[in-house]
Amino acid sequence: MTTSDKEIVSAMREDAEKGFRLLMAQYKEPLYWHIRRLVVSHDDAQDTVQEAFIRIFRSFSQYSEPHSLRAWIFRIATNEALRVIERRRKDTMPIETVFDAEADSYINYSDLEAVRLQKAILSLPPKQQLAFNLRYYDEMDYDEIAAIADTTAASAKMNYHHAKERIIKYMNSND
Amino acid sequence: MDNCFDFSSIGKRMPYTVPDDFFDKMEENVCASLKGKRKVMIKRLFLAAAAAIALFFVLKATLFKSESIATDDFASVELAFDNLSTDDQDYLIAVYEEDEFINELELN
Repeated sequence: MTTSDKEIVSAMREDAEKGFRLLMAQYKEPLYWHIRRLVVSHDDAQDTVQEAFIRIFRSFSQYSEPHSLRAWIFRIATNEALRVIERRRKDTMPIETVFDAEADSYINYSDLEAVRLQKAILSLPPKQQLAFNLRYYDEMDYDEIAAIADTTAASAKMNYHHAKERIIKYMNSND
Repeated sequence: MDNCFDFSSIGKRMPYTVPDDFFDKMEENVCASLKGKRKVMIKRLFLAAAAAIALFFVLKATLFKSESIATDDFASVELAFDNLSTDDQDYLIAVYEEDEFINELELN
């Protein structure tokens, strides 16, 4: 656990509102970007991150040390994002269609390489996608990824490497 | 595998953007939403408590009323019976003693 996480935990226990502000200051950006990479649309990410923070605040009593606070927070956010993805799937509006429709004002469609990389990531199976995002963008170790994805460190490592191979293959293809 | 694609060429760059001041406003939105939800929860709890209290008084009033009605009914029947002449009282007792339906109800 990092020093700042320890500070957040003790602040949350002393004064929940003050502690929660510290937690948000530390995690609002990484959590938003983590969710955004999964749900793609800004509007969905905004709603999801808000719901995730509310859930974190309400269920903070369930967090127990010495587990990683970051992993616990990211797990809640991931579950919220997966709920949104599932709902979108039921509405027959898969997440990837956001790129095809060019309907989101907060996506720079002119950055073709970056769009293509995100499409490649979204084409991965959920566990590989999660392992790749958490390792590549958030630089987490495999134990933390395993705690978030509810798997083992070895499996998280395998998922990351498979994901990387598939992304390279996708990026090198002519589609 | 053809390894032409190099992750370092793109790094962590993403095509995603956010509105101006989004992260500053996010914190306030979350806090406002938490306070809003807390108010709704307190309101719901208050309404539930009020409904339970109201139900208690309605039930209490209904039960006491039916008890008092029953008490009033028996008292008025007794009073009416007492006001009858001895002959009429004997006649009614005889009739009810021979009534098979009433006797059967009492046995059950």
